[in-house]
Amino acid sequence: MSDTEVKTHENFVLPSRVVSHVDVSRLVTEIEWVDNAMTTAEVRIKAGGAETAIPALSDGLTEFLSQNQLTLADSGDRADLIKQLRLLKDKAPIIHMTFASPADHESLAQLTKWVRESLHPQALIVDGVQPALVAGVYVRTPNHVHDMSLRAVLAGQRGELVKELETLRASSN
Amino acid sequence: MGLFQHKQHSDKKSPMVEVFEYEKNFFDEDFRVGIRDHARLYFEKVIQENVVVFKQDLDEASEAISADLKIRTAEQLDASIARLTIDLKEHITKQLDGQFAEFTKAAKEAQDVALGSLTTSAAALEEQHKQLGTTLQKSIANQSLMLENSFQENMKNMTSIKEANASALESLNRSVDELKNQNEQLTATLEKKIATQEESLMKAFEGNMAQVIEHYLLGALSEQYDLKAQLPAIIQQMEANKQALLDDMKL
Repeated sequence: MSDTEVKTHENFVLPSRVVSHVDVSRLVTEIEWVDNAMTTAEVRIKAGGAETAIPALSDGLTEFLSQNQLTLADSGDRADLIKQLRLLKDKAPIIHMTFASPADHESLAQLTKWVRESLHPQALIVDGVQPALVAGVYVRTPNHVHDMSLRAVLAGQRGELVKELETLRASSN
Repeated sequence: MGLFQHKQHSDKKSPMVEVFEYEKNFFDEDFRVGIRDHARLYFEKVIQENVVVFKQDLDEASEAISADLKIRTAEQLDASIARLTIDLKEHITKQLDGQFAEFTKAAKEAQDVALGSLTTSAAALEEQHKQLGTTLQKSIANQSLMLENSFQENMKNMTSIKEANASALESLNRSVDELKNQNEQLTATLEKKIATQEESLMKAFEGNMAQVIEHYLLGALSEQYDLKAQLPAIIQQMEANKQALLDDMKL
């Protein structure tokens, strides 16, 4: 970790490809695996064994480390990072977003970027699919529901449709 | 030889002695042995012939005795059998006569007993017949009385049923008239209700038509949009609701 700023779960910068708490869990698991591998390598070196290569990291973890200016060289830093990421997974605000069709990574990344810039920097998104929405999105925050789907729009304008039908019937009679 | 052993001998040889001596000299030991053997053979031959004759005589005598014995025995057996047959016949006849007499006596006694019993039974049956006849006459009289009473009651019932039928018919006629009136009223009411229902159904149809159109639109459009195409609109809507979302995230 850098010496200038102490990174905690409250000031982590999350890359756009880390969308949900599942992605955070995946980061934790990968760091734990790297920690085990590096600790084993250190013990082997101390025991006089050959030096082994640092295990290859995934793109998500590499991006996360670079955006937060972190390294995994020190075992204490790795332990702190694992702890903070676990805290982040438990405490980060979660927004449930339901779409009419399955969301692709690119769209989710754009939405995540907007949410983190506009609402909360550590917000996580849990996506779902409900074809009855037709279009738009159904957003559920910790305490509220925001139905921004086409279904809601049509339901809100049903009265106007009935009025138009009555008018049509009157003109046909 | 023995015939001459007691003859007194004199010093002078008598002719007999001389003959004897001559004979003694003439019939020496060999001659004697020959004579003896010849005599013995002859004797054996004679004896053998006599044995054969004797055997034949003995066989003939045995056969004759056997035949006589058979005849005699048969005669005696026939006589004994005839005598025994006569005795047996007499004995059996006597016993059969005795038994016949006993059977006749027993049959007569049984006949007397059966006759007495039949006489008693006939009297009892006659008495029962009389009693049954009396009972039957009484029963018939009772049944006649009951049937007459029942007939009278049935006649009364029939009269009352006829009266009830007449009143029921009258009531039915009245009900038919009332039903006709009710039917006319119901028809009028139903026509009014049908008109009202038609009107309300038309209104409901108009209301449901909006739902039908909406359902059709939902079904037709739900698979037409992908998320990329909607993304600007979604972000725009979220931007419009940004403050509400922000407030909720800060809670």
